[in-house]
Amino acid sequence: MDIKIVYPARKKRKIQRDQIIKWAKWPIAAAVFACPVVNICVGGPAWSAVALFSIWIIWSLGISPDLVEYNRISQVIKLIVNASILLILIDVLLAPGWAADVVPIVCFGGLSAAGALFFTDIDRQKQNAMPLFALIIVSMVVSAAWIILWRDEVRWTVIVMGALAFAMLVACVAILGGGFFREIKKRFHTA
Amino acid sequence: MKKREPTAFEQYKSALLEAQEKMISDFFTKVGEHNALRSKRERRRICADFENALLYYSSAGVNIEDAVKRLAPENLGGFYARPPAAWYALDDAAKVYPLSMKHGTMAVFRLSVHLKKKVIPELLQMALTFTIKRFPSFATALKKGVFWHYLDASKRRYAVEEERDVPCRPLKISRSGSPSFRVLYYENRISVEYFHVLTDGAGGTVFLKTLVAEYLRLLGEGEFKGDGILDINEAPRISETSNDFSMADKTKNTSGFIDRPSLQLGGRLSDIKPCRILHFKMDAKRLVMVAREKNTTVTGYILALMFVAGKFATDEMKGNMNIQVPVNMRKEYPSDTLRNFSMYCGIKLDLEDIADADSIVGEISRQLSEKTSRQNMSEMMNGAKKLVASVRYVPLFIKAPVARIIYGFLGDKVFGNTLSNLGVVEFPEGLSKHIDSMDFVLATALTHRASCAMVTFGDTATLSISKMTADPSFEEKLFELLYNDGLAPDVEGSELYGY
Repeated sequence: MDIKIVYPARKKRKIQRDQIIKWAKWPIAAAVFACPVVNICVGGPAWSAVALFSIWIIWSLGISPDLVEYNRISQVIKLIVNASILLILIDVLLAPGWAADVVPIVCFGGLSAAGALFFTDIDRQKQNAMPLFALIIVSMVVSAAWIILWRDEVRWTVIVMGALAFAMLVACVAILGGGFFREIKKRFHTA
Repeated sequence: MKKREPTAFEQYKSALLEAQEKMISDFFTKVGEHNALRSKRERRRICADFENALLYYSSAGVNIEDAVKRLAPENLGGFYARPPAAWYALDDAAKVYPLSMKHGTMAVFRLSVHLKKKVIPELLQMALTFTIKRFPSFATALKKGVFWHYLDASKRRYAVEEERDVPCRPLKISRSGSPSFRVLYYENRISVEYFHVLTDGAGGTVFLKTLVAEYLRLLGEGEFKGDGILDINEAPRISETSNDFSMADKTKNTSGFIDRPSLQLGGRLSDIKPCRILHFKMDAKRLVMVAREKNTTVTGYILALMFVAGKFATDEMKGNMNIQVPVNMRKEYPSDTLRNFSMYCGIKLDLEDIADADSIVGEISRQLSEKTSRQNMSEMMNGAKKLVASVRYVPLFIKAPVARIIYGFLGDKVFGNTLSNLGVVEFPEGLSKHIDSMDFVLATALTHRASCAMVTFGDTATLSISKMTADPSFEEKLFELLYNDGLAPDVEGSELYGY
């Protein structure tokens, strides 16, 4: 069978993402297995939960990133959410007493960063804004819940986070107008 | 300060007569009125596309009046002048594709037209710029909702690319506004590679035909309409973007998608997917004649050969071999949707029953006519609708990993091969004379070592095989079988990209 070649030669390419995943998945799987086993064997605090979540962050942000909607806003929000969860885990499992101050700071810092990306390029970024809206809503709900449930222990960081989130929500609705609700409708469609 | 060298277009413009220069200035004023994309860079690129096309016309000896007429900015319509607003929920068939994709694996298919002359990239770019507005559901980017993915309108310059890489490689759809298709050219071939979320083979053919007709119009070969070519300056019809799975007849039963795993062809899965593309080009009339001699259809005949070649390409001694056959539902239902409107059936044979083509062709024909009946297809469409409805309120972050695992374990392994026959593609008579042949290529699935697709244009039927193993047994046996039946295909294809 003689084959007439009618396609160009394949260009030399950089290492592909699927190759990185192929190489990385076995050491990572080994680490995922080893951490809890070692933790159980040596005893002590549950540091393996922190290690496992850190591995998850490396995997989802670095090795196998999102296939859909990999943009600056979504990645900043993802980083903030993952970092917040990691900080809470460290606080709960290893070194308690500081996350209530630090996590709101991380959140409003992240909100400011994502907001800067959004408000400086609204026309293009309005189609990428859903993760930002989600973080705004979560920040507002957490702040409100905190103020209602622990009125005596309200920290300035929580107030700043809630106020910033509310201000950003008002700004988004004011700037996007009907577009804001259209975006919500698209994102929540079930058809 | 060093003076900037004038660009080729500035040099061209400076050599024009005063009246011609004014004509060009007026022309670009009009282009500017239609070209209101927010991104300055995109606006500049579209202007540069017009400049390049005018330069090409000048070098080809086309007079300036004619060039300006062919490139009339009115062909841009309002597409680049209005911000994006539309969005499209995925049709019932498309919903699985973003859920099941992985890095390096994506449901991509490709349609190509081989012209008689070398492709002029400058004009192909303009043809795409003018054509895309007629296909609003193609001018989109895939986005993530809370419950489902969807297609969000994306106004940008859609660029043609010179082919330099493996066909049907996954599209990069993750960035803001990234398209879910690509238009490629190489020598005399124009190809479009689609992510299946956009359309199926029938919808993809309409896009390619319209693009080629527009390209030939820009080339000055005349205006072509009909035979599935859309008028690019006509407003898109709502029916073209509808999810027509709602048309399915009401049935008492619904059929599922789960079946026993099929035997796979032998050979180690390659790292590069696909690792080779092959086209068997045959005389279409002779092919129909051979199929009739065996009392079957062309699809039935090719399936019979694929079963025999498949048996030859595996070391397994027993089990079922199941070949997936997509079915175009437009043949049963009056639909002009450009979205997915296809279902599939599986033609299954026991390995022990496969001896030669003549002995299995009867059973294949029986299964084909039974499984592709309107009743069975309606049951399957209703099954798909029911499945979609049952998980509609499950958040995507739960659905996606579950779907990926189920697809990996069941969906893909249920079949060992695919044969998608697009049938005979017709073009208007004046246009056909500019076309040599067509081909249709499927990207490989997760475990299939080969996927086959077929299309017929004029006197040439092209059977394309996408390989995912370097083992050549399957295609060599298929060639031998076709040769023995007097079809003696001309074989074209790619080099072996890797193991």
